[in-house]
Amino acid sequence: MTVYKGYMKILKQNKGLILLYLVIFFSVTMMFQAVAKNDIPGNYQAESVKIGIVDSDGGPLARGLISYLEHFHKVTLLADDTAAMQEKLFYRDIEYIVRIPSDFFDTCMADGQKLSVTKVPGSYTSFYVDQQINSFLNNARTYYAAGFSEEEVSEASQMPSTVEVNLLDTNGTAGATPNFVYYFRYIPYLFLSVLCYVMGNILAAFRRGDLPKRMQASAVSMHRQNTESLLAAATIAIVLWAITIIASLFFYHDTLINHGGFIYFLLNSFMMLLVALTISYLVGLITTNSNMLSGIVNVISLGMCFLCGTFVPLEYMNSGVKTAAQFLPVYWYEKTNDLLAQFGSITGDVRIEVLQGLGIQLVFAVAFVCIAMAISKRKRTI
Amino acid sequence: MIEINNLVKRYGNLVALDHLNLNIHEGEIFGLLGPNGSGKTTAINCMLALLKYDKGTIRIMGEEMRPDNYKIKQQIGIVLQNVAVFDELTVYENIDYFCGLYIKDKTKRRHLVEEAIQFVGLEDYVRVRPKKLSGGLLRRLNIACGIAHKPKLIILDEPTVAVDPQSRNKILEGIQKLNRQGSTIIYTSHYMEEVEQICTRIAIIDHGRSIAVGTKEELKNMIKTGETITIEAIALEQKHLNDIQQLPHIFELSYHEQILTLRCTGAEHNLIRVLNYLQEQHIPFGRVFSELPTLNDVFLEITGKQLRD
Repeated sequence: MTVYKGYMKILKQNKGLILLYLVIFFSVTMMFQAVAKNDIPGNYQAESVKIGIVDSDGGPLARGLISYLEHFHKVTLLADDTAAMQEKLFYRDIEYIVRIPSDFFDTCMADGQKLSVTKVPGSYTSFYVDQQINSFLNNARTYYAAGFSEEEVSEASQMPSTVEVNLLDTNGTAGATPNFVYYFRYIPYLFLSVLCYVMGNILAAFRRGDLPKRMQASAVSMHRQNTESLLAAATIAIVLWAITIIASLFFYHDTLINHGGFIYFLLNSFMMLLVALTISYLVGLITTNSNMLSGIVNVISLGMCFLCGTFVPLEYMNSGVKTAAQFLPVYWYEKTNDLLAQFGSITGDVRIEVLQGLGIQLVFAVAFVCIAMAISKRKRTI
Repeated sequence: MIEINNLVKRYGNLVALDHLNLNIHEGEIFGLLGPNGSGKTTAINCMLALLKYDKGTIRIMGEEMRPDNYKIKQQIGIVLQNVAVFDELTVYENIDYFCGLYIKDKTKRRHLVEEAIQFVGLEDYVRVRPKKLSGGLLRRLNIACGIAHKPKLIILDEPTVAVDPQSRNKILEGIQKLNRQGSTIIYTSHYMEEVEQICTRIAIIDHGRSIAVGTKEELKNMIKTGETITIEAIALEQKHLNDIQQLPHIFELSYHEQILTLRCTGAEHNLIRVLNYLQEQHIPFGRVFSELPTLNDVFLEITGKQLRD
């Protein structure tokens, strides 16, 4: 096992680099996780607007409208003083003013006229109030057309109709993305960077100067040398994978283990490991020095991760980029990862789609091996 | 030990080895001497089965040398022209690694590695990485990596290139010591002095052909030149030159920038005859040299060019 031990000894020279990448990986994952956590609740919270109402009517329908709006917003009754109202709008004491005319029921119900409103320019919340007032008036008109009296119209339009929403909880986390999904999302960057650097450095060391000739002339057969090299590469890759998975279990323990897609998350990351390993072998074959290696590794790891949804989720990418990304293995990893995140149990069509993603990654790995073998054969002196 | 018959190796239209024939005996230090590009390294690469050749046979220790003949490879130590060590490993780790390609037993290997370190005099550098070693020390490490497993046959391809004289002497002494310990050595070089100093038999190679093989004495006897006389003489006329040319055993004469160079066949009193003539003619002369033929003379006479052309 001399060649194997040689790999391991050279690996020791790269331990600082591996540690650095692990620290970067864990830090980036935790940071993105924290940011994502703060973003989610805000997306679905209703906003309350400060509304001023000038009630020149005082009738039952006008009171009904005021009561309806008080249901959602902070309502202040104002005197009909234009200067005072403008001042309140200017200082944002009030964001929206509704003027109820003296003959509100007749003008709005019978004649179908609109209410006079004043709002802060460019305020998106005012559209929300517009919709609510329109909704109230449309309902009132419907009741009025059905022959309801003003009191009856006011009372009937009072309570907003509510819709019962049933959340289809496909991933078992009430629609929220589980934290470990972010962890698994960044795995390609870790695998590609670490394996390409480490394997690139080791393979470059074995290909430096006359060393290939020296190895070829030794008493260890080429077959044995290749087997030991492969074994060493597999050891390095599996140790990296094990560290990553053990760390994920440490961070997310039950949440991850109890997730229906746990095994598939592991399989997906393992396929990515194979892809990264084969790419790293290819990189090792084409690089001759550490500066060149550094450039190539950065282009491959950062390029693939940016294009394929590691750093920017696939849903935010335009279709052109996504189409191009389909020719890269990381895209299929991220697609499978996103799919696993969406569903709590992986069955039926989802399972087929997940297996397709895994299969495509395997095909990429095989393709890279074939390319590497072709290059290796071409480079051989004999 | 090694039989090479009619070995032909072509790189496209270039013939690197042109029906090369060599027979290397056990226990000798066999020198492959030739100018750069003469085919020495190609011959070595073919012997080690690192190169496919177009024609011919190579037999080492009675067996045909093939890329998969690991039984023979086990018995061979290689020191390549370019230093082939790992920059990432220390001196000890490098020697241990290359020794490990031949010796599996850990205890035996440790003993051999320590012996090799001592042999090349790198005891003070065992934990140092190759990048921190000087050119000479690096060459010594390269040799230690090649010989640590105590092979029967050691092939050294120009091991003293770009090495300081002190390290060179140490390396040459080491090679002779290895030979005394029982190893057969093949030594390639374009430094004729080195080859003359250590090799028991020499093959002169040019354009991929073995143009002369033998001990250094045998090689020198192959040529006409037995002695080269150089005399610093002022104002020699054509008449004098013609007279000198007529003296016995002188077969070549040149007079350039007041230096008279005479090539004589091997015989006694050549120098005395020339000096007597100059005295008789009252021709003043300065420094006088008489040299026995070198391998360069052998090469010059056979090929018509200098070894380092």
